[in-house]
Amino acid sequence: MSTITRRDFLKYCGFSAAAIALTSSKLGFLAEALANPSAPSVIWLHGSSCTGCSVSLLNRIADAAGPAPTIKEVLTDAINLVYHATLMTPAGDPAVAELRRVYDGGNYILVLEGGVPTAFGGAPCIVYSLHGEETTYQRAVQEMSAKALAVVCVGTCASFGGIPASGSNPTGVVGVGQLTGRATINISGCPANPDWVVWAIVQLLTGTPVDLDADGRPTALYTETIHGASKQLVHDKCPRNPYVNALAPAEAAAFSDCDGKCLIQLGCRGPSTKSRCNGCWNILAPPSNPDPVDRWQNNWCIGVNAPCHGCVEKTFPGPESFYEPYSPPG
Amino acid sequence: MPVIAIAVDPVTRIEGHLKAEIEVDTIGGVQQVSHVRMVGTLFRGFEKLLEGRDPRDAPILTSRICGVCPTSHAEVAVLALDQAGGVEVPAAGRILRNLVHGACFLESHILHFYLLSLPDYIKGPAMPPWTPGFEMDRRVDQATTDVFMAHYLQAINVRRKCHEMGALFGGKLPHTPAYIAGGFTAVPSSANLATFAAHLDDVIAFIETCYLPDAERLASLYSDYFRIGRGHGNLLCYGAFELNDSGSSKLFPAGRVLNGGGVQAMDAAAITEDATHSWYTDASNNQHPSVGDTVPQYPKDGGYSWLKAPRYGGVPYECGPLARMWSKGEYTNGISAMDRIRARAYEARLLAAEMKNWLGEIGNGDTVYAPWTNPGTATAAGLSEAPRGALGHWIGIEAGKISHYQVITPTCWTISPRDGAGQLGPLEQALMGTPIANVHHPVEALRVIHSVDPCLDCATHVVKAK
Repeated sequence: MSTITRRDFLKYCGFSAAAIALTSSKLGFLAEALANPSAPSVIWLHGSSCTGCSVSLLNRIADAAGPAPTIKEVLTDAINLVYHATLMTPAGDPAVAELRRVYDGGNYILVLEGGVPTAFGGAPCIVYSLHGEETTYQRAVQEMSAKALAVVCVGTCASFGGIPASGSNPTGVVGVGQLTGRATINISGCPANPDWVVWAIVQLLTGTPVDLDADGRPTALYTETIHGASKQLVHDKCPRNPYVNALAPAEAAAFSDCDGKCLIQLGCRGPSTKSRCNGCWNILAPPSNPDPVDRWQNNWCIGVNAPCHGCVEKTFPGPESFYEPYSPPG
Repeated sequence: MPVIAIAVDPVTRIEGHLKAEIEVDTIGGVQQVSHVRMVGTLFRGFEKLLEGRDPRDAPILTSRICGVCPTSHAEVAVLALDQAGGVEVPAAGRILRNLVHGACFLESHILHFYLLSLPDYIKGPAMPPWTPGFEMDRRVDQATTDVFMAHYLQAINVRRKCHEMGALFGGKLPHTPAYIAGGFTAVPSSANLATFAAHLDDVIAFIETCYLPDAERLASLYSDYFRIGRGHGNLLCYGAFELNDSGSSKLFPAGRVLNGGGVQAMDAAAITEDATHSWYTDASNNQHPSVGDTVPQYPKDGGYSWLKAPRYGGVPYECGPLARMWSKGEYTNGISAMDRIRARAYEARLLAAEMKNWLGEIGNGDTVYAPWTNPGTATAAGLSEAPRGALGHWIGIEAGKISHYQVITPTCWTISPRDGAGQLGPLEQALMGTPIANVHHPVEALRVIHSVDPCLDCATHVVKAK
């Protein structure tokens, strides 16, 4: 493990600088931040979640240099991840004692995965016990948000409530900002894209102000500039949209004949979804034995003929069918 | 010596929220677990969210029950929808489902062994997130530890690669949108099939040269764990990975084992759920999931978990790789904490080899979808396996919308609480008698808990609130 250094983390940031718009001067600040032994710790708590955002984060761990960057450094050297229930070795009291020690010190970034259930006094989600007393996620979020340097909501559930808050919302789930009334940096998505999560943490470590949209999402992540024009909506950037790509075929009318075609009639929410998803997911490096193919492969939902479900939006999932033409509420 | 009560909360290196309440007593000169309650500490009410929705939404929403086995929920949901709509999925659609599902199995097994389980046995680097760990009997010398840790780092890459393979056809993982009623969205291309094959070769090489030898190395160093964590000895497998279009032949056949005996037939009609010690009203006790209804009641006398207690013919069963491999006749060494770990590794090798064969059965541009029409009114069930065991969805459709949805997850089977007859849940039973050297560092209990690969995200949504 000691072979991984902070220098490697900076290298990662260099690799992904193009993708996440880090300037070289920011990388300089990052070097200073990482050299600082009193750099903030990271506490990562799970609420009403599926752990999918944590799994997604792991999908950016790689040894090899290249377009698929690595976050192993983030987990080991670069970020002092003191509490993450899926990844950490400690369990029970020792784990919780360490968590409370860092909380008392106040020098931490709080990362929250999962919405906050408020029904039954918060009992649908217990995050830990301390001295035999159970602590609800609701209480932990309230307490720890108050002392955190910053709060990052990873995924749509923490950002807006997401799927557990849909329909009749049986456990009274709300997003973190809705519970605390405090500003949060929302990295929405189901799951959150790991590059976007790393980007947000790097901004915080370097003390860089983050410009947020009306839903608390970094504008730098959910908007793209294409041919000099600022584009937010998936549809406005989609290679299957004839206005973007003159060679795009006609809209698909059925799944039996939709390969490569615009999916708007099959429920695609791209026209009302702000994101830069195209080619952003599970970026595949060439195999170690590159024959018979030697290329990077960029994946995304629409790339496999699946309609965009708008999973980064506050309106996700909504009561509407995922497979009928979509009009957003309001 | 007095009985000592321990609460391990949170149990970490699992998916979701789990608490272990353990009492330790000295019996026959051995300090050991004498009482245990496993407490699921998350409840989301997923089934209720589905009511009134387009049935086709079920695979998308139920995938989000679990970020570690989303494709298992998607697979089971589309199996139920295929049945409800009376559609037979074309071979390429079935095989692409299997390949993406298989990629997630391999990802989950590798993740489990190295990231979730191994820290119970070896000492990691002296930094978070490895510190402060439990003190434990260190039987692994430094040279072997270095081998394990080198493979731990490789495993991080290989599990990522499994997801990337799956995303070739799934679009993104976790949470692919490619599983649809009637088939699959992605159309296979020669290039993607070749890329998948090349990456699968890398994964197979890792399983052969690292994962399997490491599992055997661990088994020889901790051979006492072949006698620890047996539990009831009951194994249940619904069957998974359909090998023909009718679904009559499966890579892992359905079956069940009572007290370590021979394989018997599995009939899903014998499944019921008990809520005596769960935070739900008793009204729904012992109903089949096709009719079962669940109303939360918190607090409740005698209740101690958000999990219900599924039973087969009134009997508790554990599920997972050991149950599948036993049902297939591939692994019958024994039932214990270490047998679960070994069977999981052997299953990874068997499945990966089979996936290579499946790749050869499909070609460029093959048809992946058969038109699915909403039946208006129907009831159906989807039964398959998640990496950690038997997974079932039961759906009711009325007026073209979901009127009933019930999910029983593998973790619900394995980590269930006691039932009305007082029978312990499988993991509770497995923990009984586990020797505990140091009550302040009950790592032996963690080893038994992790051997079943708990996934509480999956388990704790299993409710339909009113």
